[in-house]
Amino acid sequence: MIGWLRHQKHALTSSLHRLRMQPVATLLTALAMGVAISLPSGLYLMLGNLSRLAGDLPAQPEISVFLDAETSTAQKQAIAARLKQPDIAEARFAPKEEALAALSLAQDLSDITAGLTQNPLPDAWIVRPRATSRDDLAKVSDDLAKLPGVAETHLDSQWAERLQAALSIGRTGVWLLAGLFAIALVAISGNAIRAQVLSRRDEILVSRLIGATDRYIRRPFLYLGALQGLLGGLAAGGVLALAGWMLHTPVAHLASLYGSAFNLMPPTLIEITAVLGLTTLFGWLGAWISVARTLRQVGASR
Amino acid sequence: MINFSQVTKRYPGGHEALSGVNLTIEKGELVFLTGHSGAGKSTLLKLIAAIERPTSGVLTVSGQNINRLSQRAVPYLRRNIGLVFQDHKLLFDRNLIENVVLPLDIAGFDRRESLKRARAVIDKVGLLNREKANPISLSGGEQQRLCIARALVGRPALLLADEPTGNLDTGYAADIMAMFRDFHQVGTTLVIATHDDRAIAALGGRILHLDHGKVGEMSA
Repeated sequence: MIGWLRHQKHALTSSLHRLRMQPVATLLTALAMGVAISLPSGLYLMLGNLSRLAGDLPAQPEISVFLDAETSTAQKQAIAARLKQPDIAEARFAPKEEALAALSLAQDLSDITAGLTQNPLPDAWIVRPRATSRDDLAKVSDDLAKLPGVAETHLDSQWAERLQAALSIGRTGVWLLAGLFAIALVAISGNAIRAQVLSRRDEILVSRLIGATDRYIRRPFLYLGALQGLLGGLAAGGVLALAGWMLHTPVAHLASLYGSAFNLMPPTLIEITAVLGLTTLFGWLGAWISVARTLRQVGASR
Repeated sequence: MINFSQVTKRYPGGHEALSGVNLTIEKGELVFLTGHSGAGKSTLLKLIAAIERPTSGVLTVSGQNINRLSQRAVPYLRRNIGLVFQDHKLLFDRNLIENVVLPLDIAGFDRRESLKRARAVIDKVGLLNREKANPISLSGGEQQRLCIARALVGRPALLLADEPTGNLDTGYAADIMAMFRDFHQVGTTLVIATHDDRAIAALGGRILHLDHGKVGEMSA
């Protein structure tokens, strides 16, 4: 056990030494990996921010229940009672005066509403049902429409569904891209390690002659691959941080034009850890594949 | 310690380097292999270290059957064998002491203990004040002594040397041979391939003459 730990430590220090000895090659490999990693990660972050933006808006589907102009007080009370049923999460009465006031506030329409002698807008309830599926929502909506005194109901969820559908395509795209770039990562790492193995051919041959196991010979290269992967992940972090920094101001500006305080969210600590862990793993994997192959070429394993 | 029984080694292409060799080397023996180049001296040493495998016959080293030794077991066999090469096989990307400590690193020894042992061996071969130097700055004789230090640092029971004085002038060669005599005196088994007759005469020991892959015994 102690011998094993010693071997790990020795392999790790010798890998770190290798990286330090070849700063340019290390940097180039890390950059190539960083770019490859930053594409899917960047897209992932973008989608996360878009989802959040969609969540800020009323993603919860709402049903607008418009009343007839001639609805009687008894009918109104019956409707109010119906809206206290457990399938309704929240219901808010919007009298027609409020609707008109809201319409007047919208700049372009104030002239038009000022010319009105009488409020043409109906009273309405803004209802948020407890149901979430499309079918259930439609049922509640139809149900409410049948109540006496209700002119019509409007299920306002289509745009949200469309956005969700688009985002889900985006998410699938991210995973596809991530898969492709993971393969690229393994290839980049494998190639860098192959060069390393070939450049240390003498050391490998001599080590074998004086009793090194294949595992001993492989170990520093595996560490090297893992470290390269980690550096690649960190480089990707740098690329994304730069992109975030450059996008920060224009995004805030765009958001302010929409009267929103929306800001780009950086990745969470868990996400950062996961990406670094994965890049380390793929760097290691590339090294593993490459070392096994290259060692066989370097000298028949005697 | 080493036992060849009807051992034949044929290389791909048909060249037969050893034919039907029968040979026993006891623990603690000092053995010289002589013969013209191409007689099979190197092949014999390579078989003992499991660098090559016999084509036929049975070879045992320290009780292990080399024919059937698995690839996984080879490194552990080699850790008990010190190898001295004519071309030294030193690593020029590290200093002298790092070259010597390599076998101990491989065997997983404590680093501080290893360095202490390496320093002691380097002292024994007379290079102590050069331990931080790069081996490329050493002369041929010094490189050979460094190679011997590396072979000995693991305290092997068996030392195999292939033409250890082949590239050296007489003074250095005598040095090296004197060193081998010291190791022999502390009980190490030595098998030395050489055509340096003077060295053999100086050290005594058993002499095996190889001729076209066959072994003949000669009196010293």
